Amino acid sequence: MQERRRERLDRGVKVRSDTIYAVSSAKEILFLVGPGLALVTVLLILPLILPPYWQKVLTIAGVYALLAVSFGFLANFVGLVNLGGAMFVGVGGYISGVLNSTLGLPPLLTIPIASVTGALLCTLLLLPCLPLRGVYFAVVSFIYPLATVMIISATGVWGGTDGIAGLNVLPNVWVNQYVIILVVLACMFALTRLVNHADIGLVFRGVKDNELAIRASALNVTWYKAQAVFISAAMGCFGGAYLTHLYGWVGMSLFAMDFSILPLAATVVGGTSTIYGPLVGAFLLVPISESLRSFGTLRIVFYSVVMVFCVVFWTEGIMNYLRRRYEQFERWVRV
Amino acid sequence: MSSNDDWVLEVRDLMVFYENALAVNNISLKCRTGQITGIFGANSAGKSTLMHTISGVMLDIKKKEAMTGGERITLFGAINFNEEDIQNLQPHKRARKGIVLCPERRQLFTESSALENLKIGGYLADKAQAKKTLAYIFQLFPELQKLKNREAGFLSGGEQQMIAIGRALMAQPKMLLLDEPLLGLAPSIETRLAKAINEIKQQTGITILLGEQYARPVLPIIDYGYVLENGSIVMEGTAEDLMNNPDVLSAYFGM
Repeated sequence: MQERRRERLDRGVKVRSDTIYAVSSAKEILFLVGPGLALVTVLLILPLILPPYWQKVLTIAGVYALLAVSFGFLANFVGLVNLGGAMFVGVGGYISGVLNSTLGLPPLLTIPIASVTGALLCTLLLLPCLPLRGVYFAVVSFIYPLATVMIISATGVWGGTDGIAGLNVLPNVWVNQYVIILVVLACMFALTRLVNHADIGLVFRGVKDNELAIRASALNVTWYKAQAVFISAAMGCFGGAYLTHLYGWVGMSLFAMDFSILPLAATVVGGTSTIYGPLVGAFLLVPISESLRSFGTLRIVFYSVVMVFCVVFWTEGIMNYLRRRYEQFERWVRV
Repeated sequence: MSSNDDWVLEVRDLMVFYENALAVNNISLKCRTGQITGIFGANSAGKSTLMHTISGVMLDIKKKEAMTGGERITLFGAINFNEEDIQNLQPHKRARKGIVLCPERRQLFTESSALENLKIGGYLADKAQAKKTLAYIFQLFPELQKLKNREAGFLSGGEQQMIAIGRALMAQPKMLLLDEPLLGLAPSIETRLAKAINEIKQQTGITILLGEQYARPVLPIIDYGYVLENGSIVMEGTAEDLMNNPDVLSAYFGM
């Protein structure tokens, strides 16, 4: 037969570096750590070379990247689609803001406290719907930030619609950028390790695949989901607390829909099967959205077209595609 | 009955690759009009792949895999239905032409009632046809009459399989593909269903392609059979030919 088909094979270096031979040569080690190293290097150098305006964009992109990693972790590795990422941001932001304005605690304390207590609070709030599956979790998580905004504006607590101004701000532009970048990278590596190499990561992925089988293995599914939500919420609350001290102001806009939806978009564009996909997606989408600012509202159209294209025609996302090109080569073979 | 050499479906030199793995290797087969053709093979022999390729579902799977960056599926060869090449036809168009798949593990709409399941299958039929087919299904499987308002997911495996076959019949097939219709059923139900499948052939003249792992219960009803191993046809012949081969007997007939 003269028909040909396109064959996909792992590169030799990939096959070798999957095994113990990885340590046999510098080239193989470079193949394994190269992509991660490149990402870290780029993110660490960017603040040094960017103009001031883009440094601000990078900082915000970092926050969105953190939220995207948090969303991607829950959605892709635990099977919980959280449409209310803004709840985490808002809770973290308000806790640190209130601590700072009433007790006068410095950001160095308020941010970690807000991350942990905020995550606990969010986990408790979401706990009732954790045993449910499918769309219920998404709906409940979606409602929380909307409801909280209404409560704040109706009761006027914590400054009501005006928010709390005059909070401590982070010392300088370098701390701004490097704190968020280092936290994002740390979360990315920690979560990658967690889902790929830790027992609990195995359980998380099992919960996503087949909850019944996890129950049959005498594991409490709700307890594991709660842990995953806590991890995710801690990242979101950190993002909120960080934003609070970045602006020196906390207000209802921390519960805005952007914080729920952009991470989702970043996950779709970046690719769904890895932890770093959403991160790369966020670092691409936020600057693109910024650079199109001069087009006014038209940029939303452009943005939506890219989104729809990715969802409809390119479900695998950027990072899955790049990873395949990196690890495999293709050639035509006779059948 | 129709003559022996008329065929409805012809598969020629069919090859299916999942990435670099060859699932179906150069298979050629013919389904003769109004006959039951059996395909026997162990798990991973390529039965379901063959069924999916003939029904066209493979094109959908291929597209989905390509979009999500999964395995690349490559298809070669020709599938002719009534002398017409349908290799690149979408599955719903193949169903309109009369190739209807009754999928493995039944795939019922578990939250709809038995009757609703059957009615959904009648999408391609007009009202009179649907009514007639429904009556025929209840005559074929009288036990469904009592169960028709029960939720399909709560029925027993055998009853669910009856509904699955009925649903496929409602689509007015000319060529019925049954993928493991006896999967996980009790021996008595196996015999009962095999008898029903034979009745369908005799009473409606529908051509049937039937894939099974264990050939014994369906052996009496097949007119012609193929034995698949690792994606290739290793033997073909009439039921008697297959019965007379000791290797086939021990491997697929449990004798």
